[in-house]
Amino acid sequence: MTYAKPLPTIDDDNRPFWEALTHGELRLQRCLACGHHRYPIAPACPRCLAAEHEWTRLSGRGRVFSYVVFHHVYHEAFRPDVPYNVALVQLDEGPFMFSNVVGVPNEALRCDLPVTVVFDRVTEAVTLPRFRPLEDP
Amino acid sequence: MGGHVGAPHVAIVGVGATPQGKLPGATPLGLQVDAFRLALADAGLRKDEVDGLLTMPGTTTPEGARNYLRLGEALGLAPRFTASLSMGGATALVLMQLATQAIAAGAATTVACVFGDTARTGGSRFAAAYGWGDSWGIWGMFAAAANSAMTARRHMHEYGTTSRQLAEVAVACRRHASLNPAAVMREPMTIEDHQASRPVVEPLRLYDCCLISDGGVAFIVTSVERARRLRARPVRVLGVAQAHSPETIGNPEWWYVPHQQTAAEAAYRAAGVGPEAVDVAQLYDNFTISVIVWLEHAGFCKRGEGGAFVEGGRIQLGGALPVNTAGGNLSESYMQGWLHVVEGVRQLRGECGPRQVEDAEVGLVTGRGMTLNCAAAAVLARD
Ligand SMILES: [Zn+2]
Repeated sequence: MTYAKPLPTIDDDNRPFWEALTHGELRLQRCLACGHHRYPIAPACPRCLAAEHEWTRLSGRGRVFSYVVFHHVYHEAFRPDVPYNVALVQLDEGPFMFSNVVGVPNEALRCDLPVTVVFDRVTEAVTLPRFRPLEDP
Repeated sequence: MGGHVGAPHVAIVGVGATPQGKLPGATPLGLQVDAFRLALADAGLRKDEVDGLLTMPGTTTPEGARNYLRLGEALGLAPRFTASLSMGGATALVLMQLATQAIAAGAATTVACVFGDTARTGGSRFAAAYGWGDSWGIWGMFAAAANSAMTARRHMHEYGTTSRQLAEVAVACRRHASLNPAAVMREPMTIEDHQASRPVVEPLRLYDCCLISDGGVAFIVTSVERARRLRARPVRVLGVAQAHSPETIGNPEWWYVPHQQTAAEAAYRAAGVGPEAVDVAQLYDNFTISVIVWLEHAGFCKRGEGGAFVEGGRIQLGGALPVNTAGGNLSESYMQGWLHVVEGVRQLRGECGPRQVEDAEVGLVTGRGMTLNCAAAAVLARD
């Protein structure tokens, strides 16, 4: 069955991020001038504007900073999933990213819940980082 | 008045709003023309006296950022100063600031700010994914409601804000809309009605969400001196300011939109007054939570106290601070904050009949747009 949900547009800027995920690694850009971990992916550091960076492997751990539960269907491919959650996860290294928390009922979600990354291969080229609770919530 | 930064003796001298709601057959351009004509008549101006034109393209405006050209042609204007700008719900006030500055600098004498949209009948992009390249859709993160739902959830977690407090905002707006013959949604609403409405993006329910509307709105800005010679009672722009956080989730405080506070404080500073001077407020309400956060940012209560502030009818007419006295985006019509300017002006002119705040002298209008990125605030006063 084909994957009908939106997929990332992979380009030269974000390819290291998506390639690392296919190998089971969460990597983000870390500024070589000031050490800031940045996300969203960007050509330069929004703190100091230096372009030099490395794709640092992160711990994959973080916390649910905030989360929402979709009941309304805004995109047909998500119809079978409602109600589904989207979380704003703050990684231990600092950056925030949107994702989904798996392995837990929506009713058991809470802000500040500790989570860790899991890798969900949805197509040949794309593995999505999602998160599961670090311990039983 | 000590308005030196954003307040060079400028006034709003005409406002116009077309019918609102579901307007089959209407076009964004036609609605803009209608709104301009109404504002012109309200001011008692001839169109050749308007030498500045600022517009916000609607979500359904095909020409996008060239809307100023299309509208200028349709109106037969020859402006000395013109532009189109898209900052969502902050745009009306950002254009007000540009108009103010243009007049102060001598770039124009009389500036019309105009918006028209057919988001209700023409389809809109409010349900699309956010993030550049719609990239948040990968996670199922769609629609403006989700951004504000993230804010609401964290606000609930940190400060104990409740869904019933969100309901207080919806109920206040509905009560005010019931007193406004031009409002789209006028049937009474209770907190229980709100609690029984379907969840859209939890923790937000249907009645936490603004309407989606067709309509046009315009307002005209000129010097106070010129304004005093015109038909309508001038409403002075004491201070108007904008502030932004173009970073979304790159900013750890994105969810709390702290640039709103920056904008409100700058508007107060320019006006030489503070929140204690405000008699009536039109606070941007794309979702109920936004009003609660604006109350905190505009200094009516402390951070985290917005939920308690709205309880007991405090933001209703007769309460400590009447908010969104025409019904707001939630119940009057969703004109992305443009009608907030119109109501802000009409309250200070004393034209609001059963929903008039008695002796309203100073009003605050706020706007917020894009992916929580853009904020603006204006302090208005009767002349
Ligand atoms: Zn840096």
